[in-house]
Amino acid sequence: MREITYSEALREAIRSAMAKDDKVIMIGEEIGQGYAGVFGVSKGLYDEFGPKRIIDTPIAENSIMGAAIGASLLGFKPIVEVMFADFIAVCFDGILNQAAKVRFMSNGQYSLNLVVRLPGGEGSGTGPHHSQCLESLFMAIPGLKIANPSNPYDAKGLMSSAIYANDPVLFFEHKKLYKTKGDVPQEDYAIPFGKAGIARAGKDITIVAHSYMVSVALAAADELYEKHNIDAEVIDPKTLVPLDMQTIAESVKKTSRLAVVEETYLRAGVGSEIGSIVSERYMDWLDCPIKKIASRNVPIPMPASLVGEVIPDKKRVVKEIREMF
Amino acid sequence: MDYDQNLYLTFLEKMYLIRRFEQKVYEFAERGLVFGSTHLEVGEEATAVGTLLNIKRSDYMIATHRGHGQELLKGTDVNAMMAEMIGKATGICGGRVGSMHVTDASVNNLGAQGIIGASFPISVGVGLALNLLGQKDKILISFFGDGATNQGNFYESLNMADIWKVPVFFVCVNNLYGMGTAYCSTCNIEIYKKATFFNIKSDYCDGNDVAAVYNKSKEIIDYVRTKRLPALLELKTYRTIGHSAFDKHPYRTKEEIEDWKKKDPIKRTEDILLKNGTPKEKIDKLKKRIDTTVDDAAAFAAQSPYPVYDDSLEQ
Repeated sequence: MREITYSEALREAIRSAMAKDDKVIMIGEEIGQGYAGVFGVSKGLYDEFGPKRIIDTPIAENSIMGAAIGASLLGFKPIVEVMFADFIAVCFDGILNQAAKVRFMSNGQYSLNLVVRLPGGEGSGTGPHHSQCLESLFMAIPGLKIANPSNPYDAKGLMSSAIYANDPVLFFEHKKLYKTKGDVPQEDYAIPFGKAGIARAGKDITIVAHSYMVSVALAAADELYEKHNIDAEVIDPKTLVPLDMQTIAESVKKTSRLAVVEETYLRAGVGSEIGSIVSERYMDWLDCPIKKIASRNVPIPMPASLVGEVIPDKKRVVKEIREMF
Repeated sequence: MDYDQNLYLTFLEKMYLIRRFEQKVYEFAERGLVFGSTHLEVGEEATAVGTLLNIKRSDYMIATHRGHGQELLKGTDVNAMMAEMIGKATGICGGRVGSMHVTDASVNNLGAQGIIGASFPISVGVGLALNLLGQKDKILISFFGDGATNQGNFYESLNMADIWKVPVFFVCVNNLYGMGTAYCSTCNIEIYKKATFFNIKSDYCDGNDVAAVYNKSKEIIDYVRTKRLPALLELKTYRTIGHSAFDKHPYRTKEEIEDWKKKDPIKRTEDILLKNGTPKEKIDKLKKRIDTTVDDAAAFAAQSPYPVYDDSLEQ
C-alpha cells in the first residue's frame, strides 16, 4: 500500500470532504496565504478552494472559535486550526460554554459540526507555551468529543468522521507525528469514534496509550518482550471521548495488569480516569495496582535534559512496567 | 415621519406584552417557581420593540441574558416562553435551561447568552456564514448590554466584522448598569464611539422613545441589509427594577429611579395615542386582551409537567 505522512493523511481527509461538500470550510491563523498551517497541513488548499473556504484570520483565537460556532449554527462544518494546542486556553469559553452546550441548551434544535484541530505535544524544545498535551482537561466537559490519532491511517479516518460528528470534536494531533509515514489507502474511509484499536497483542500486561505515546509504548513493549520476557498488549483508544472501555476491560481481564502511558500531565490525567473506572468495576481482575505513567506535574521545559525527565520515554515506561512484576 | 395610529397601537401592544410577561415572571419568582436567576427588562421594552418590528422572521437573532422581550418579539410562542421560565417540559427548550437561555430555531433565534460578551464572535460567524451562503436577504440582529462592551472579544469581533464585512446589526441595550456597577465608572468612552474606531457605522438614540428606536433602526437595518455591512446602534434606557428579580438595587438612588419612571416608554406611547385622539376604551381593550394572553400562558406553564431525566442526556 501507498505510504504517506500523518500530515498528508490529515490533508487528504480535509481535501476530500471540501471537494464533496461546500459547507466544509477551514478557519484559522496562517492556514491559507501565509504558512499553509504552521505544520503545513493545509498546504495547497488555499490555491484549490480559495479565500472563501480557507479563511485566514487575525490573531484572535477567542473570536476564531466564536466565528466557527456561528458558522456552524447556520449549517457549515468548520475545521478550526488552533496553531498550537496550548492556545486553546484563549478560546476556552467558546469550547466550554458555547460549543459543548449548544445541543443540550437548545434541546436539540441546534447541534454543531465543528472540528478543532490542536497540534500538541513536545516538539524538540518548544517550551512551556508550545508543547502541552491537554486532552485530559477536556475529557471532563460534557458535550465534546476528543480524537487523538496515533498514526497516518487513523489521522485520515478519524478526521473523516470528525467533520460529520454532529458534535464539536477536539482533534488532538501531535507535532512528532506530522512527518511520520504509514500505509494509507487512497480512497475515503471513516474510522468510527469510540472503538479502540489493539496496536500490539500480548498477554502479560495491558498498556493504554494514545497519540504519540502509542509509538513509545510499542517501543517499550518490544524491549520488555525481548529483554525481560514480558508480553505487553498495547491498546490505542483512538478517541478519548467516547472512550472504548469495553476493549480496555477485555484486555485487562486477560492480562490482569494495567498501565496508562500518556504525555498529558499526571494529575487528573487520562490514566486517572481509566484507572478509576477499571478499579471501580474490575478490581477483582487485577494482580497489582494500576500504574500511571504520564508527564510529571511540571510545565514542559525547553532543554532536552529536563524534557527527558518530565515526559515519559521508552526507558521510563520499561522501568515502571518492570516494577509491576 | 407622519403620525400613524396603527403603528403606535402596535408599539403599545408589543411593549405591554413584554411588561405583563415580565411582571408574571416576577410573580413566579416571588413564589419560588423560578429556580435560578431571571433578568427582567421592565422599563426597557422600547429597545426590543423598536428594533425587532423592523426585523423579519427569516432574519437571525442572538439575544442577551435579559432577553425575554427580544425572544417574544422574534416570534416565540408566549406559552412556550412562559413554560421555559419555570423549567417546564413544554418550554421552548424543554424547560432545560430557563430564563437566560432561550433558543428557538423555528424563528431563527440562535440563542441567548449567559456569558457576557460571548455573543460577539458568534455573531461574526453567523454573518460570515450569511456571506458564504450568498443569502442577500437575511441579516443578524445581535443584542448585548453596556457591560459587554468592556470584554476583549467585543473589540476582536468588531475588527473581524469590519474586515469580513458581515451583515450584522449590533444593538447595545445600554441600561447604564452592569449588575450594580455604573457603566460610567467602568469606561470613559461612549459605546457607540467604540465601533466608529473600526470604521463601522454607529449611532445612538433614546431607548425609551419607541418611535425614535423604530425609525433609527429602520434606517440602519436598511443599510445593513442592502450594503451587507455591519452597524451598531446604542439605545440608552433603564431598567426600573433590579438586575435580577431578587435584586433590591441599593446601588441606585430612589430619585434616579423615579426620574426614569417618568420616561416610561409605555406611558409615553399611551400619552401620544390619547393626545392624538385614540379613545381610552380602545387602549384598555387592547391591554385586557394581552392580560388574558399572559394569564393563559401562566396557567399553561403552571399546569405543565417538569422534564424528566433520562440517560440519553449524558454526553
